[in-house]
Amino acid sequence: MRCRFALVWLCLSILARIAMAADTDPQAGPDAAAPVAVTIGSKDFTEAIVLGEIARLAAQRHGVEATHRRGLGGTRILWRALLEGEIDAYAEYTGTLAHELLRDMPADAGIEPLRARLRELGLGMADPLGFDNSYAIGMLEDRAQSLDIESISDLAAHPGLRIALSNEFMDRADGWPGLKAAYRLPMDARGMDHALAYRAIATGAVDAIDLYSTDAEIAHHGLRVLDDDRRHFPRYHAVFLFRLDLGQRAPDFVAALGDLAGTISASGMRAMNKAVKIDGEPEARVAGRFLRIEPGAGGRASGPGLLEYTLQHLALVGVSLSLAILLAVPLGVLAARHRRLGQLVLGLVGILQTVPSLALFVFMIPLFGIGATPAIAALFLYSLLPIVRNTHAGLVGIEASLRESAAALGLPARVRLRRVELPLALRSILAGVKIAAVINVGTATLGALIGAGGYGQPILTGIRLDDIGLIMRGAVPAALLALAIQGVFELLERVLTPRGLRLPPAS
Amino acid sequence: MPAASDPAFSLLGVTRAYGAVRAVDSLTLDFARGRTTVLIGSSGCGKSTVLRLLIGLEWPDAGEVRRDGVALRRERMLEERRRVGYVIQEGGLFPHLSVLGNLGLLPRYLGWSAARIRQRAIELAGLVHLDADLLERFPAELSGGQRQRVALMRALMPDPPTLLLDEPLGALDPLVRHGLQDELRAIFRQLGKTVVMVTHDLGEAAFFSDRLVLMRRGRVVQDGSLDDFRRAPADDFVRAFLAAQRGLPEPGP
Repeated sequence: MRCRFALVWLCLSILARIAMAADTDPQAGPDAAAPVAVTIGSKDFTEAIVLGEIARLAAQRHGVEATHRRGLGGTRILWRALLEGEIDAYAEYTGTLAHELLRDMPADAGIEPLRARLRELGLGMADPLGFDNSYAIGMLEDRAQSLDIESISDLAAHPGLRIALSNEFMDRADGWPGLKAAYRLPMDARGMDHALAYRAIATGAVDAIDLYSTDAEIAHHGLRVLDDDRRHFPRYHAVFLFRLDLGQRAPDFVAALGDLAGTISASGMRAMNKAVKIDGEPEARVAGRFLRIEPGAGGRASGPGLLEYTLQHLALVGVSLSLAILLAVPLGVLAARHRRLGQLVLGLVGILQTVPSLALFVFMIPLFGIGATPAIAALFLYSLLPIVRNTHAGLVGIEASLRESAAALGLPARVRLRRVELPLALRSILAGVKIAAVINVGTATLGALIGAGGYGQPILTGIRLDDIGLIMRGAVPAALLALAIQGVFELLERVLTPRGLRLPPAS
Repeated sequence: MPAASDPAFSLLGVTRAYGAVRAVDSLTLDFARGRTTVLIGSSGCGKSTVLRLLIGLEWPDAGEVRRDGVALRRERMLEERRRVGYVIQEGGLFPHLSVLGNLGLLPRYLGWSAARIRQRAIELAGLVHLDADLLERFPAELSGGQRQRVALMRALMPDPPTLLLDEPLGALDPLVRHGLQDELRAIFRQLGKTVVMVTHDLGEAAFFSDRLVLMRRGRVVQDGSLDDFRRAPADDFVRAFLAAQRGLPEPGP
C-alpha cells in the first residue's frame, strides 16, 4: 500500500512540476525576451488588436519596448486590467467611456470632461485617433430594399425580423435596451458573437445585426447601414487610455500615443480591418505598413505553435487540478466525518460550480490580475466540486461493518483513514479527479479571454477572424487532450486500485 | 456460583436508546473471566448492542460499563479495544488487503516487525486450521468459512484476554458451520480466554457454554444453563423460545 501512495504523490508532483515550468514561460510570446517597459492590451476584435499593434510599434519607434497582450476579452476585462495596472494602455471609444465605464458622465461628454474624470482614477487619455467607430444597425442590401427599410425607425414596422446583436451590445446601457426604447422596437433580439453574426446574416439566418461602422465586412457582405434617424448612438471616437504613472515610467510612450492623434481616418481603419479580416494579413504587418516601418523583430511572424499552446493548456489544467486535489480531498474527508459541516461544504462548492465560467474568470482579475494565475484560480474553484463530492461519496459509501471493524481493532482515526477508508474510497476519488480534469480541459479554453493562453487562443482568434481552420487548431487538440486525460486516469485507476478490490466478489 | 474476583466485564444499570427504542434497558450483567458466556435472543433484543457497549462502539445513555471493576473511559478506548478481539458475522475483512495485510493492520501500527507478524500469522493459521498458503490471498478469494477463520485470527493477533463474537457462524452453510463449532469450542477451551458470543440459535449456544443469557427488549429474561431453562423457564417467552428451536440436544438423564 505504501508504495501505491508514494506513486500517487510522485505522479502529482511530476505533473505539478511540469505545469509550473510551463507556467513560468512567458505568455506574451516573442516580445518577452526583451526588457519590457510597458504593456499594451487589446479587446478581442480585429480593430482593437490592430490598434494595439500600432501602439506597440509606435512605442518601439520611440525606443520603448512594449508588450502587446492581444485579444484579452471584452471592455470590462480591459478596463479592470488597466485600473489594476495589469496593462498600461489600450484603445477605447469615448462613447463606451461615457455610457459604460464612467456612468456618471453625460451621454455626449466631450474629450476634456472625460479626461478630467479619468484623471481622478489615475488614468490618462491621448487625443482621439481621428476616426469614429460608432455602433450601427445593418441589413443585407437586398433584404432591406425588399422590405423598404432605410432607417432604424423603419424596423418598428416589421416585428417579425430576427435581430442578432453582439453580447456586449445586448447588455450595454447604450446598446439594445436604449435602442429598443428610443425607437419603440417591438421585436426581441438574440445575443451572438460579433464575428459569427456576420456569418449568420450572410447566410440569411438573421435579418439585422449590430455593426461597428469601421467593420471591414460591411462592404464585403453588401450590407446597408440603417440611418440612425433619432441620433440614438453617441459618437465613438477611438482614443488610447493609459495609466498616468507612465508619465514618469515611460514618457516617450505617452508621447508616441500623442503622435498618433488624428492620423487614422475611418476609411483608413476600415482598410486595415479588411486587410486583417478579409485578406488574412497579420495585424503586425498591417500596423507596420500604416506606420511605414517594418514590424521588426518584435513583430509576431507567426502565432505560437501547437507545442506552446499545449504546454500552456497543460499548465492551466495541471496546476489547478493539483491544487484542487490538495484541498478537495481533505474537504471531502471533513464532509464525510461531520454531517452538518459536510452539507455546508458540499453546498458551498456546489454554488461555486453554478457561477458561469466566464464570470468566474472575470471575478479573478481584481484578485490575480490577468494571465495564467486568475485562470488557474478559476479552474481550481471549478475542480473542487467533483473531487469533494466523490471523496465524500466514496467515504460515506464504505460499509458500516468495515468502518467499525477498523475501529474495533483499536486503530486511531488517522490510521483508519489512511489504511482503510481512503484506499476503499480511492476509486471514487479518482473518478472525481478524472471528471474535474476533463471538465478543466474544456473550461481552460476560456482562459484565453483573460490572457492565459492555451488552446483557447487559436479558438478565439479563429472566431474573430472567422477562420474555421484556426478554430480547429485549438478545438481538436483540446478534444484530444480531454480523451488522453480520460485514458491516463483509467490507466491510473487500474494501477492504483488495490488488487483485492478488482477481484469479482466471492460467492 | 459467585465469581472469586471481579468479573472480566460488567454492565451496571446500562441503558442505550435509539430514539424511543431502548436497545438495552437498565441492564445489569457480569461476564466471568476465562469463561464463555452466550447471549441469545431474537433479532433486535439488544444482544449485539451489549457487545458494542463492551468495546465502545456504543456508549451508555445511563449506567456504567466496567472492565476488571473499572469504568470504561472514552479517552482510553483505543487501548481498551486492543485488549479485545471482535469478530462479526461477515468477518469484516478489508477487501483491499490480503489476509496477511488484514492480520497485520493493528500489529504494524503497534510497531511489530514484518517477520513477527508473519510468524504469529502462521502460528494462528495452525490454531484455526487455515492453510498457510492462503495468507497472500485476498478476502474475495476465500470461502465463507475461511474468511471467518481469518477474522478470528485477526482478532487473536495481539493475544487479547477477551474475545467478542457477534454471530460468527451466522452466514455459513450448515456443514461448514458444524465443523467450525467444534473447532471454535476447542480453541476457546485451549486458550482459556473470556469469551462473549452472540447467537440466535439455542442449540449452538448450549454447545458453547452452560451459561446462556436470554434477552428480550433490552432486558435479561433468564440467565442460566439450557437445563435451567428447561426445568424452570422464567416465563412464557422462555417456553416459546425453547419450543421454537428444533433439534436441540436431548435433556440430560
